[in-house]
Amino acid sequence: MNRKRSRSGVSILELEIVAAKIRRNVLEICRGQGGYAAQGVALADIAATLYFDEMRPDGKGWFFDRFILSNGHDAIMTYGALAESGHYEMEDLKTINADGSWVDQSPIEGQPGFEITAGSLGQGPSQAAGLAWALRRQGSNARVHCLFSDGELQEGNVWEGAMFAGHQRLSNLCYIVDNNDMQASGHTRKIMSVEPVDEKFEAFGFKTRRIQGTSVADLLDAFEDARATTDKPFAMICDTKPWDGIDCLQKAQPLAHFTAKDAVKWDEGIAEIDAEIERLEAERTQ
Amino acid sequence: MLLTGERTFDPAPFDAISYDLCARRSDVVILSADLSKYCQVVRVKNELPEQHLDVGMAEQNLLSVAAGVAKGGYIPIATCFACYITRRAYDQMMICMGTGSGPGTNRTHGPTNIAVGFTPGIANPARIHHQAAEDLGMVRAIPNAAVIDPMDSTDFRAALDAAVERPGLTYIRGHRGNTPRLLDPAQFTFELGKTYRLREGSGIGIIATGHASQWALEASDLLQDRGVDHSLLHVPTIKPVNEIEIADFSFAHHRVVTIENHQIVTGLGSLVAEIVSDVGGGPRITRMGLPNRWAPGGTLPYIRAQLGLDAQTLAMRIEGLAR
Repeated sequence: MNRKRSRSGVSILELEIVAAKIRRNVLEICRGQGGYAAQGVALADIAATLYFDEMRPDGKGWFFDRFILSNGHDAIMTYGALAESGHYEMEDLKTINADGSWVDQSPIEGQPGFEITAGSLGQGPSQAAGLAWALRRQGSNARVHCLFSDGELQEGNVWEGAMFAGHQRLSNLCYIVDNNDMQASGHTRKIMSVEPVDEKFEAFGFKTRRIQGTSVADLLDAFEDARATTDKPFAMICDTKPWDGIDCLQKAQPLAHFTAKDAVKWDEGIAEIDAEIERLEAERTQ
Repeated sequence: MLLTGERTFDPAPFDAISYDLCARRSDVVILSADLSKYCQVVRVKNELPEQHLDVGMAEQNLLSVAAGVAKGGYIPIATCFACYITRRAYDQMMICMGTGSGPGTNRTHGPTNIAVGFTPGIANPARIHHQAAEDLGMVRAIPNAAVIDPMDSTDFRAALDAAVERPGLTYIRGHRGNTPRLLDPAQFTFELGKTYRLREGSGIGIIATGHASQWALEASDLLQDRGVDHSLLHVPTIKPVNEIEIADFSFAHHRVVTIENHQIVTGLGSLVAEIVSDVGGGPRITRMGLPNRWAPGGTLPYIRAQLGLDAQTLAMRIEGLAR
């Protein structure tokens, strides 16, 4: 199944252009002080699909549906996306990680776009499940999305939350697993394998779907599948690579957990993305 | 006079407190981690099941689900034994429940998150693993948190009523089983941070909290009989602590004794010593409570006697200091 329509009606091509612009934002934000650039780049398609299509606007300049970022490192994804949506200023975001900046690399609960304090890993899935339980009890039809990484699956708290979500049949809850086979000190499959991720969540009462995390078409299909699942929570296992979409990041750091500011030729990466944006925009005008 | 004349016992204080609160406020949710019966959450579970949520035997889940429930607009009250709710899930208490409100966070008025730890200190017969002798010290280290150690069922009820009105994390030490009614509900008004003079005198100043305020009263009765002049201050709020009232009380006595159902390290005794030493030149402070070694198990009277915290020994120790 490869649907051509999104939830909001925006085209796949438009979302791909947004994703490319989010990648560009990520590099621009990270070039000054370094950062989790590879993660931000790899998650750009998820961010574009989530923020620019799946999550409905609330009519007051924010989102009706809820997003819980469990992995504080991936805040760069949200920053890149919310800069593109106009909720953050790039000038502010470029101060990330600098002494005295209010832009936290791993933000604290209550900063726009960040519902939880996510720096202590593995605590998002339970909080998202608690939020989904509360919204269901209120009779709200808002959906809750929670992004976490495969490395976080090594934390027991993740599985406690998954057990609760499955037991409570929280069909308004969608877990998005960034399955990038990378954690702080190397490949997840070598340090402590978490596979088969999809089968594990199925055993905990989820419907699952394993997709290519950088395919907008796959993501749209998976989100539709999640919404259509009315009797259990949903987990989409998104296979990604930390450097997806940017050759210079891959060349610079095959195991890019944190990208130091001098490790990468940022101009090269930005030029690469600009060429991609130009190509996609040319496709749009055809 | 804050104390009741006649001492009666409440067999299940939290059952009534939680039921009355939930009946009054539909936005309160009581969470359990497979210990609802053992924390005396019975009526809410049976009669108001929509306001009860069991997350299974998973304390990290208890507090992180609770934090999610709070973000969904409800007031969660997570209940468990004090040892598990603090020691086993301390990071979830601090990060998930404790970083959403107050100075240094992104909000001045964030969600309300409440945790109640039952059978604290030596109120649990199973030694070491079930005895939380360090929970007050752990939670009072969390910025912006409130920490309350009530002395009886009247105090406990009032503490919970105060907690639901307060943004951010509040940790309350719970009472279960036969709990004395010592404070007179007609005279006692709980205020967060307030201290309460239960006995007025001079000479030795006794400062106590929680279960140990009961023990201190027992010792105070004996001291009165023996004509040992003393005062007794009950300090239910460990954080935000009322430094002025504690300093005023301490400096009004030539010797201070603290009594707590907690290690004398990091708890009330440490707190009083911090306050008095910050002022400087104060009276000598003797800390009574659990030592920094593993306490024995068994019945509460047995453990108290083993640790020199039974009424007779406490009175004797205090009388010895008065001489």
